Amino acid sequence: MNVFLVETDKTGLQKFYEEIIGKFETYAPVEKFGKYDYKRVLKLSECNPDSPIETTMSVKPLFFPKTAKIMKFVEDSSGTTVSETEEDPFAGKRVILGVKHCDARGLQVLDQVYKWDYIDTDYQKRRENTIIISARCDKAGAQCFCTSLDYDVENSDAHDIRIVNGLNGKTYIQAITEKGETLLKSFSLQSTAPDVAKDEISKHYKSFEASFRLKMNYSEVNAKLQKLFDSPEFETVSSNCISCNTCAFICPTCHCFKISDEKIKDAGVRYKSYDSCNNGYFTLMAGGHNPRPVKYRRWRQRAMHKFVYYKERFGVNLCVGCGHCAISCPVNISIFDVVNQVAKV
Amino acid sequence: MEQLLVPVLCKVDKIIDETPDIRTYRLKMNDPARMESFSWMPGQFVEFSLLGHGECTFCISSSSTRQGYFDCSIKRAGIVTADIHSQLEEGMDVGIRGPYGNWFPIDDIKGKNLLFVGGGIGLAPLRSLIQYCIDNRKDYKDFTILYGARTSSDLCYKEEIEEWQKNPSLKVILTIDKPEETWKDNVGVVPKILEEVVKPKTENTKVITCGPPIMIKYTLISLDKLGFSPSDVITTLEMKMQCGLGKCGRCNIGSTYVCKDGPVFTYAQLKSLPDEF
Repeated sequence: MNVFLVETDKTGLQKFYEEIIGKFETYAPVEKFGKYDYKRVLKLSECNPDSPIETTMSVKPLFFPKTAKIMKFVEDSSGTTVSETEEDPFAGKRVILGVKHCDARGLQVLDQVYKWDYIDTDYQKRRENTIIISARCDKAGAQCFCTSLDYDVENSDAHDIRIVNGLNGKTYIQAITEKGETLLKSFSLQSTAPDVAKDEISKHYKSFEASFRLKMNYSEVNAKLQKLFDSPEFETVSSNCISCNTCAFICPTCHCFKISDEKIKDAGVRYKSYDSCNNGYFTLMAGGHNPRPVKYRRWRQRAMHKFVYYKERFGVNLCVGCGHCAISCPVNISIFDVVNQVAKV
Repeated sequence: MEQLLVPVLCKVDKIIDETPDIRTYRLKMNDPARMESFSWMPGQFVEFSLLGHGECTFCISSSSTRQGYFDCSIKRAGIVTADIHSQLEEGMDVGIRGPYGNWFPIDDIKGKNLLFVGGGIGLAPLRSLIQYCIDNRKDYKDFTILYGARTSSDLCYKEEIEEWQKNPSLKVILTIDKPEETWKDNVGVVPKILEEVVKPKTENTKVITCGPPIMIKYTLISLDKLGFSPSDVITTLEMKMQCGLGKCGRCNIGSTYVCKDGPVFTYAQLKSLPDEF
């Protein structure tokens, strides 16, 4: 594939964003009380695609909603009728701006579980109809460690379009996928000679990588954890956890859910909503048996699922190093610290 | 819409009281064409919902060699099962998704002696395979069923067991934990009867077992003592599940999805899993 690369500047980029918002159903990071979250936007002034800090919630809810209706049901004397709920609000064509590398990678990781065996067509449709445009990650945040994991941030194909600040003051808009290229072409943007641009992008990533405070040796941590199921450290690292499940809700890759019914008189709705392996009742069976009855076992599941089991099953790590969980945790537990401490033997 | 999670409506055709806390619900799909094409393998499970109360995982306790219906045998154990027992009546609708999961290795056990070891409600998944094997009797050699429960009134499928006892090609051994006045069969826990009364030969034999955790634990020890290889012992695992589709993350043991890779495992396979079930 030819590299479709556009050289522009800050004003050109603003114009590009404005055009997208004008043409597409667009979502982007919107600030509220000093925090950012992805919201539907109608004009550029409402949002900040280059928000300096991570969004609090990942981009996940736009593909895997916090709560989704599965169906409605009504009972009467002739029996039960099951009917579809209203149309999927996320199924249409749309663009998401300002998606950081970690967040976009999170979607690629989620794709694996949704496409194996039973294919979740609702999720796939949302994915297919969405164009993902990156944020300009210039500098790592305090809890970021995406460059330490099992994916190549610089050559990632998780975005459809990537936006990079050159160190030379220029801004580059690069198509990564065909979907992205088609969009850039439809905006009658001209591709520039790629040599200088590629060099600038590569310089940008070198400086980006140098800005990381957190670094780990992923393959070593992964290899060690495989043998540490019985490590007593899991008790130490999880002792402060208050089991609030915030980490799982905001995580770009946590995908556990529960199914629950709400019924008033003869009619009701069945919902699918987020759940977390940190919940005490998560594996509790009728009759009282619970394979993970204590907190450290649930934390062990969380850490091992992220850094061992998912990798073993689907070939990708279930943690993308975004640091969202560490930022929002009320008792300052960081998955980075947890796996490093357990693997520090 | 979450297409994968929408159930199909079925009618409760018949409710059979098995024991004071176990009932068998015989189900038929509301759409007859769908019922006719509905096929499952022994050991597979369904997601069963009493709409408005919740969805639970139950194995199908009958065999698809007996067409036109399927059974779920349900023990009153938690919130939804209590609602099912108290509110679900014949003629009412339930939601069904499935069949899901793997099944008993019917090809591997062909030409073998079969030994079924069941306890309490654990006979439910075995019954699906027992019926299947009875309906294909010529494919299997000796056929022994050891079944136990706490008391005689806790034995499931009493009428069907009488039929099995009358069938000259089956050997049926029943036991209860403590003596009862009118009980003439064996008394003692399943592993004890297995060792002292059944005394099975290991040669060319596959053991299929299911029951409460404590029974399984000691049965596995007995089978080991009797010389059975862990790869010849097959069981079906109980784990909390919700989606049945390998998505919701509830039934994971290590990188294994019990709802997809199981619920049927050999004892050899179980030994390789992290100790978390």
